[in-house]
Amino acid sequence: MSKIHGMMDVGKRSMMNSQTALQTTGHNIANKSTEGYSRQRVELQTAEPLGMGKLRIGTGAKSAAITRTNNPYLEKQIQKEQANLGYLEGKADAMTRVEQVYNEQMNKGLNQFSTDFFNSFREFANNPESLATRTQVKETADHMTQDFARVNKQLTEIQRDLDQQVAVQVDQVNEITKELASLNEKVQMVEASGAPANDERDRRDLLIKQLGQKINIRWAEGADGNVTVTAGQNALLVTGNEAKRLDVKSTPAEGAKGEGNFDVFYHNSERSTAIRVTDQLNGGSLGGLLEVRDKTINGLLDQVDNMAYTLGSTVNELHQRGFDVYNKQGATFFELPKELKGASANLKLNEAIAKDVGKIASAAQRDAPGDNRVANAISKLQFEGVIGDNKATLDEYYNSMVGEVGIQTRRTTTEQDSQKNIVNQLKNIRESISGVSLDEETTRLIEYQKGFDASARLIRTADEMFDTVLNLKRM
Amino acid sequence: MRIADKMNFDQVNATLGKNRTDMAELQNQAATQKKLTKPSDDPLAATRVLQTRTEIEAGKQFLKSVGQAKNFLEYSDQSLGELAEVFMRAKELAISQSNDASASESTRQVAATEVEQLFAQSVQVGNRKQGDRFLFGGFRTTRPPFDANGNYKGDSGEMKITINKEAQVAMNMPGDRIFLGKSVQTPSGTTPPTPGENRDPKVDPQPTHGNDPAVRPAKIRAPASRFSTPNEAAAEMKSADGEEPNNLGESWKTKGTNVFKVLSDLEIALRANDKQSVQESLDHIDEALAQVVIARSTLGARAQTLTSAMESLQKGQVDAKTLQSNLEDADTFELVSDINKTESTLKASLQTSGKLIQPSLLDFLR
Repeated sequence: MSKIHGMMDVGKRSMMNSQTALQTTGHNIANKSTEGYSRQRVELQTAEPLGMGKLRIGTGAKSAAITRTNNPYLEKQIQKEQANLGYLEGKADAMTRVEQVYNEQMNKGLNQFSTDFFNSFREFANNPESLATRTQVKETADHMTQDFARVNKQLTEIQRDLDQQVAVQVDQVNEITKELASLNEKVQMVEASGAPANDERDRRDLLIKQLGQKINIRWAEGADGNVTVTAGQNALLVTGNEAKRLDVKSTPAEGAKGEGNFDVFYHNSERSTAIRVTDQLNGGSLGGLLEVRDKTINGLLDQVDNMAYTLGSTVNELHQRGFDVYNKQGATFFELPKELKGASANLKLNEAIAKDVGKIASAAQRDAPGDNRVANAISKLQFEGVIGDNKATLDEYYNSMVGEVGIQTRRTTTEQDSQKNIVNQLKNIRESISGVSLDEETTRLIEYQKGFDASARLIRTADEMFDTVLNLKRM
Repeated sequence: MRIADKMNFDQVNATLGKNRTDMAELQNQAATQKKLTKPSDDPLAATRVLQTRTEIEAGKQFLKSVGQAKNFLEYSDQSLGELAEVFMRAKELAISQSNDASASESTRQVAATEVEQLFAQSVQVGNRKQGDRFLFGGFRTTRPPFDANGNYKGDSGEMKITINKEAQVAMNMPGDRIFLGKSVQTPSGTTPPTPGENRDPKVDPQPTHGNDPAVRPAKIRAPASRFSTPNEAAAEMKSADGEEPNNLGESWKTKGTNVFKVLSDLEIALRANDKQSVQESLDHIDEALAQVVIARSTLGARAQTLTSAMESLQKGQVDAKTLQSNLEDADTFELVSDINKTESTLKASLQTSGKLIQPSLLDFLR
């Protein structure tokens, strides 16, 4: 036998279920645009029926759990692809800046300045007696050395900027790991009570993706629901509710890294010494930035230095064999830096020549103001193989440098584009599974509202039934 | 497939973003009229553009050099023309004064005075300047190569002008060759020229080739000039004209004709009223004249070389510029049609985007 009380109970529970469902729908609608949100559903189950002899009378429904709709394997794949994208973004970002240093499509660059320099020697050879041609040689040499210095300076400036970017990203990594640690704690706490920690998990998934985009990580979720995150090979960033810190410091040159550039250090604990992890960071945007900063730019600097040094020493060699207007053996034309490293920044026209262009030597013998053999020989250097095992001309050497930069930039940006497409497609799939559809939610809204109405009607019916029962006696 | 709202909006964002980027890129090309605005647009083309630009710039300089050298040569040639006239006149005088039919002691005295002036005129020609530079002083271009007595103060240097990547052409002829008959020294000094024949060893022995003689030696020497170290370059630099050009040809000096001596001999003979010597001097005058003519023909050959070098340089310039334009300039027609295409794509995606962000079920509920 059923009871009116039971009916009331069923109605009440049903109303509460509807309310829960309505609120969850509201939650979904509100988080329609929240990054990383997975839509949630109230899992309704039939409540335990009552046994009455041969009858088992239903007692309505109960809200068993609120779950999120999510495909963890897809999330993992997105995380991986997004990490690749981060790396390519970091690299492309830095490369497009490096490219500008070598862009001679719009501005004058080393290619033109060195042509001007050699041309000035040709003009000088045409008329070695003239002060004007000598002055021109001086001017073009000056411009060329300045442009060598410009390339050097711009490249090192990019390195400095990249340092700053590295510092900012490391800060962001620290922020993320801190939040991850606290989310670990929350997830564990919430789930201890048996309810899935939907929102916390969504947020945690999102943060891991963001972290992976910045730095190469490996991560795994333990049985206790905590994720453990390792950066590089062994920099344990998050364990349980604890986050370890990374920081940056300017350090002397080491390996590919240049003097004064930032190294990334890992602090296992406040007391232990920091461990250098720069070389382990080869993924995420940090990996991209570090690669360009240490490998690409330092490689380019070496090449420019080599070019400046070779140019300076070969020109000097010839110039010193000549004689100037005072019938003196030619001085060094360039003040050659002591060492190859930094030669491009330090190559300068000899002070004495800058002051007195008469000291530029064009003659191969004394007492021959019209002798242009040295000037001719120097001008011919432009087309001689003097660099790279004496196989390439200076022009070829520089042009191939430009080509290399162009190819690398192009490859990185194309790869970045296609990687972006991949990530977008995956995200699309993710949205189709976990994303909120307003149509869907609206339908639910109506559905649960109707359910709510009907449940209320049930209670009223039960109430009327009570009235009927109570009025039995008066009649 | 289940479509979530976010997908629509993301897609609209992505397509519009891509279309706008394409459009901006094309507009940039249209504004600059260049399809190559940075090396990564086309790395290979970018390096080739740099190459051709170097070629164009160097070519401009070569053209300038050739022009200057040509001027110098032409002026030298013109001056030598005058010298030839001097000797024509001397020859006339010598012929007319070499017999007694038309000449006498007094006419010889008059002729002697004229020869004296011819001598001075020759010295003047020898000291001819272009701008501040003496034409016939070899490397010593800043002071007169001849004194009043015809003594040579210059050297035997030849100023070589680079006319293209490989070749050089001498733009001057040192005075000792023209006036003193000194043979040009060969670098090794082992092959003295045929006596009495003042041929420029650089002139192609078979001029029938029609090639420019002076450019040939340069071409032949080109492989040798591909030095790999500055040392070799310097060695070549030195050997180009020998260490001490003045000493090298010393022993051959006598084999040529000293034009001043010819004139002064003639003058002496006239003054001495020595018919015999005057007659003998005719041969020397012819030799001197031949010497000048050979020098002029050498200069002419070089000028010829320069002219053809100039032509090929100009052609090279045109070719290089065409290549450069092909590599970096935007094809306007293609560009405009691309812009139109992209524009219509952009419009289409704007339109469909409007449809994508359609009203949802919410809009139909009252």
